[in-house]
Amino acid sequence: MVNFTVDEIRNVMDKKKNIRNMSVIAHVDHGKSTLTDSLVSKAGIIASQKAGETRFTDTRKDEQERCITIKSTAISLFYELAEKDMDFVPSEGKESNTERGFLINLIDSPGHVDFSSEVTAALRVTDGALVVVDCVSGVCVQTETVLRQAISERIKPVLFMNKMDRALLELQLEMEDLYNNFSRTVENVNVIVATYSDEDGPMGNIMVYPEKGTVGFGSGLHGWAFTLKQFGELYSNRFKIELSKMMKRLWGDQFFNANTKKWAKTPGEGYIRGFNKFVLDPIYKVFDAIMNFKKDDTAKVLEKLQVKLTTEEKGLEGKPLLKVAMRKWLPAGEALLQMICTHLPSPVTAQKYRMELLYEGPHEDEAALGIKNCNPDGPLMMYVSKMVPTSDKGRFYAFGRVFSGKVGTGQKVRIMGPNYVPGKKEDLYLKTIQRTILMMGRYIEPIEDVPCGNIVGLVGVDQYLVKTGTLSTFEHAHNLRVMKFSVSPVVRVAVEPKNPSELPKLVEGLKRLAKSDPMVQCIIEESGEHIVAGAGELHLEICLKDLEEDHAAIPIKKSDPVVSYRETVEEESDIMCLSKSPNKHNRLFMKARPLTEGIAEDIDRGDINARDDIKTRARKLADDYGWDVTEARKIWCFGPDTNGPNMLVDCTKGVQYLNEIKDSVVAGFQWASKEGVLCEENMRAIRYDIHDVTLHADAIHRGGGQIIPTARRCLYACQLTAKPRILEPIYQVEIQCPENAVGGIYGVLNRRRGHVFEESQVVGTPMFIVKAYLPVNESFGFTADLRSNTGGQAFPQCVFDHWQILPGDPYEDTSKPGVVVTETRKRKGLSEGIPPLDKYLDKM
Amino acid sequence: MAVAFSSDSSDVINRCLGISSPSKTSSDLVETVYEVPRCVEWVKEHNFQRVALQFPDCLLVDATELTLRIEKETGAKVYILGDTSYGSCCVDEVAAQHVTADCIVHYGRSCLSPTSHLPVLFVFCCRPVDVEHCVQSFRDLIPDQHSRVILMSDVTYSASMNDISTRLSQQYTHLVTSSLNIPDSKLDTESSTVNSTSRKQDSPNQHSQVISRFGRTFCLQADTELDSYSIFYIGEESLTLTNLMMAYNRCTFYSYNPEEKNCRKETLNVNKALMKRYYMVEKAKEANVVGIVAGTLGVSDYLTMINNLKEVIKKAGKKSYTFVMGKLNVPKLANFMEIDVFVLVACSENTLIDSTEFYRPVVTPFEMELACNSCREWTGEYVTDFRELLPGAPSHVPMSEGTGEDETDVSLISGGMRRVGLRDEETAGSTAVVKRNDVLTVAEVNTGASFLQSRSWQGLEQQLGETEVSAAVEGRRGIAAGYSHEPGAGGDKEGPQA
Repeated sequence: MVNFTVDEIRNVMDKKKNIRNMSVIAHVDHGKSTLTDSLVSKAGIIASQKAGETRFTDTRKDEQERCITIKSTAISLFYELAEKDMDFVPSEGKESNTERGFLINLIDSPGHVDFSSEVTAALRVTDGALVVVDCVSGVCVQTETVLRQAISERIKPVLFMNKMDRALLELQLEMEDLYNNFSRTVENVNVIVATYSDEDGPMGNIMVYPEKGTVGFGSGLHGWAFTLKQFGELYSNRFKIELSKMMKRLWGDQFFNANTKKWAKTPGEGYIRGFNKFVLDPIYKVFDAIMNFKKDDTAKVLEKLQVKLTTEEKGLEGKPLLKVAMRKWLPAGEALLQMICTHLPSPVTAQKYRMELLYEGPHEDEAALGIKNCNPDGPLMMYVSKMVPTSDKGRFYAFGRVFSGKVGTGQKVRIMGPNYVPGKKEDLYLKTIQRTILMMGRYIEPIEDVPCGNIVGLVGVDQYLVKTGTLSTFEHAHNLRVMKFSVSPVVRVAVEPKNPSELPKLVEGLKRLAKSDPMVQCIIEESGEHIVAGAGELHLEICLKDLEEDHAAIPIKKSDPVVSYRETVEEESDIMCLSKSPNKHNRLFMKARPLTEGIAEDIDRGDINARDDIKTRARKLADDYGWDVTEARKIWCFGPDTNGPNMLVDCTKGVQYLNEIKDSVVAGFQWASKEGVLCEENMRAIRYDIHDVTLHADAIHRGGGQIIPTARRCLYACQLTAKPRILEPIYQVEIQCPENAVGGIYGVLNRRRGHVFEESQVVGTPMFIVKAYLPVNESFGFTADLRSNTGGQAFPQCVFDHWQILPGDPYEDTSKPGVVVTETRKRKGLSEGIPPLDKYLDKM
Repeated sequence: MAVAFSSDSSDVINRCLGISSPSKTSSDLVETVYEVPRCVEWVKEHNFQRVALQFPDCLLVDATELTLRIEKETGAKVYILGDTSYGSCCVDEVAAQHVTADCIVHYGRSCLSPTSHLPVLFVFCCRPVDVEHCVQSFRDLIPDQHSRVILMSDVTYSASMNDISTRLSQQYTHLVTSSLNIPDSKLDTESSTVNSTSRKQDSPNQHSQVISRFGRTFCLQADTELDSYSIFYIGEESLTLTNLMMAYNRCTFYSYNPEEKNCRKETLNVNKALMKRYYMVEKAKEANVVGIVAGTLGVSDYLTMINNLKEVIKKAGKKSYTFVMGKLNVPKLANFMEIDVFVLVACSENTLIDSTEFYRPVVTPFEMELACNSCREWTGEYVTDFRELLPGAPSHVPMSEGTGEDETDVSLISGGMRRVGLRDEETAGSTAVVKRNDVLTVAEVNTGASFLQSRSWQGLEQQLGETEVSAAVEGRRGIAAGYSHEPGAGGDKEGPQA
């Protein structure tokens, strides 16, 4: 632990090249928080008066109880790099060779998929990521997800192989097997990196290489770790080889013959792999000596490794001794912090290539340049990535990163919400920052101001932002891009107060909940139901608990979880649908058909966008999806909400006054696509073609009032005649379990309409990984069910993957979609049964 | 598409329109059903010269017969008012003024809202109730003779109320009967013009509470609260019943339908209905531009309410427009795409509109107030009669004086942030020379202009410089019904017919 006054911290903050902002990311249970603890105990900054109190990362009671991280927590570390190591730091990563103190802002993130929005928020404010992988189970689904996210945000990764103690003690792996395990994991990580990044990209090559020191090995639990640099240094003197060359010898197909003292690239008689010989062998010896209680050997080995134990420690044996010895020999903090300082980018380096991804405005304006150069004298640009609850009920700290300029107490700033458009007043507030604070675990410390490149908390901004936003002092500043989450809120419950008169309290609570979680959605539906939507069951459970206990503080009734559905069509409308306006003087002729496969997903991802240039978009649709170019140029709009995965296409030829009614038809389309005809759920992947339009010659008779309701009716008629279907959300489930439990998994999945699409053994372990698709609707209670059917050996991770047609005809009452429609209509208080076609379709 | 774009014109001629015309009341019944003698006496007594008879559509068939009789007996000039511009339950004073009538006789169902100008006689065209059956149904449905029940009825069944009440009160000790509180004609009660609706007052009988709402007055027994009563309503399902259920949303409702002779406990989930209305309030909070729609020209104080609403809306930082458009329908309202939400100022029975089919939601004045006035809290209490919201009335809550600060709120509809309260106009207000920014040029215009900006079609092209310049010539004069230069036109000496 390092004791610092606020002034000292503030001084370090100015040395922007000596700052590292990093997040710790991994699959659940791969040991992030444990590892973080060892870093904090080594270098955590605590304000002098707080020294002695510990437990930094566990800020919530339920986090401790469940042994799972729920919220991401930021901690600042201070580490002084040894003089000899300064040479390894790139020049942009240090102020000068004598400036050896580094400020590391570390964010520990949750590993459970349900909370991956927290990871996204953490990644946004950091430049580097420590990817932790359990060396036994290797790269898992969440590892891939978070790594992919990191790369798309241009976050540079370094890798840490955790839980080596398990590999040695529990699995008793042979050296070569362990090496293979490591090398496979590194390879897997690099495959992901290569898939989602570009070697010629602005970040350069960001793959991880043990021989370059960007991969760490060790055990967070036992508190020891190393990179090949540590061992390289040990041997480079002995062999009189340069350090970098030595490190190369310690990884890959490098074999050493102890007799001839020769290196070879292929294994042969008497040749042993460099890694095994020089790295693993000493470690194995220590383990062997201590765990098999060979007292003499132990003493000998430890002496050789120059590990000095106190007399008290000498009395230990077995595991406790092992921990102490290893920690003294290869302290985790040292190795990791060295790796972080050396290989992760400083804000100066990172912001240079992150600016174009972060900033929505022109890349040459003042704000953009301020970010690009990490200029403390530029205009303020800060991104608020999440809200952290304060002890003051209903108030939050706005937590975020300063990218340009300085933010300080009493400063007047422009607070811009996600819907802010430059030049408009919507979602814009000019306010004064009440207080700037440092956030260290759960402690906060007031600070005068904070320069760019740092992470900060603000007081008095929370009232003007819901979840995220941009703060600036530059009048023409555009927004910093909003974060894209890898999960979607597909599971919903309706809540109501037990006592109806407490509705205002519930509403107030919902508003607070909406702020406190980056992902949760709190909405009121037309039926008057108050809905809380989350990424998964666990996420919802936590949210509702918070709502009931903290935010609303009233007893709440919850409905069973329900999923939201989408409405789509399977074929082209079998007739040309005609609807007449109320005055019978205008006619719309339209047809619906499924949107070409893949387009809806492209729209979700933003690859095809409502705001794209019409010609380039038409080109893309023509090239990738075989659309007719002229039609593709006449897409009137996307919907719902002008950017959803449905399209309205003008296929008419030479219709008079058509441009006049465009706005009205579009309005009708937005309305209809938001509330489909089956059960008023959003539509998805439907393309509507306007084939012909006849209009009254007088403008007054073809106004919005005549056209909007007509367009809506016509669209409904189209949907009803094009084999309407219900789409349901599907999870991708990854289950890790021993072989004997696989049978149980299949049983549970079959009962729940799931199907397995991949099953593989984790090489070198008895563990199996089963990947399957599972309807979200069937996933409630899945985890518990799975555990009870596999004796608690299987652990699933569910991520929303795609939408899939619920097989069956919604018109049949007994079919699955029929039941869904009936139930949804009932819940929403709609008339019974799908409305008949003749309500919408007019005769000639 | 085999059928061509046009159809055979003979279809239109042969088409059978499914309108069931109500049957005429036989002439010997007219006298009693329409209470002709009472009418005649009233007209004679006040010496009215021009009498307007207002009929709902269903009673219009008997209009001629009635007119002839009244004209014959009183000698006054009688006019028929049909096809009311608003709800037929309200007195249509404006139509009466068109014929300069000096009194109105209102026939059929009425919402009993007080009027502002003309003396009115209400004739409910009472229908018979099978009293025996009704009393029996009451006993079956509410067997507990100590339960507290309020007896109410539709106005058309009010005649039988006394009968039923006396028969029931022998057994049911806690029965309370409501009496109709017919708005008096303006002749004798000048004082009762304002806020005569809902008064909670101590009656001479100590501790008991007199509640007078929606033209119905009842007196609660000593030391009892309204919440502990259930309400027995005689009449078929109608707006009146819905209105009562919303207003007394904590009471259990039973209804007896005299036409079909069935009795039931009302199952409409009032709580659910209230939740739905709460959604409307949220929608109203979201709105930037509000359309105030006049849904009545008869109910007294409607203008005060509209002005009040304008004030409240303005204070909440929203913009309002006022519309007069007669009966509402979907196309009429959809013509104004820039309006985010409409407020309907109408009598208590017509104010609740199911606006799911409407492009934009239609809310009640009470909901608009809830949305704009931060001092008003949602308690589950629901006010349908707008006059109860006016200053001086029991449910009036004064607007909070804005602190000038931006107040904000999380919207549970869009999930975004929204402003509440007065927004500070033109925050900067600096006079310094600012570099012109093309992106910002349309920034500070009003809502109407920014709506136009967002439209893809903004009107005819200007074709600047393409039209030849010509000298100005004198144009037409007059109104579209006949311009002054047209032959046979009456000229513009007179305005629209009075």
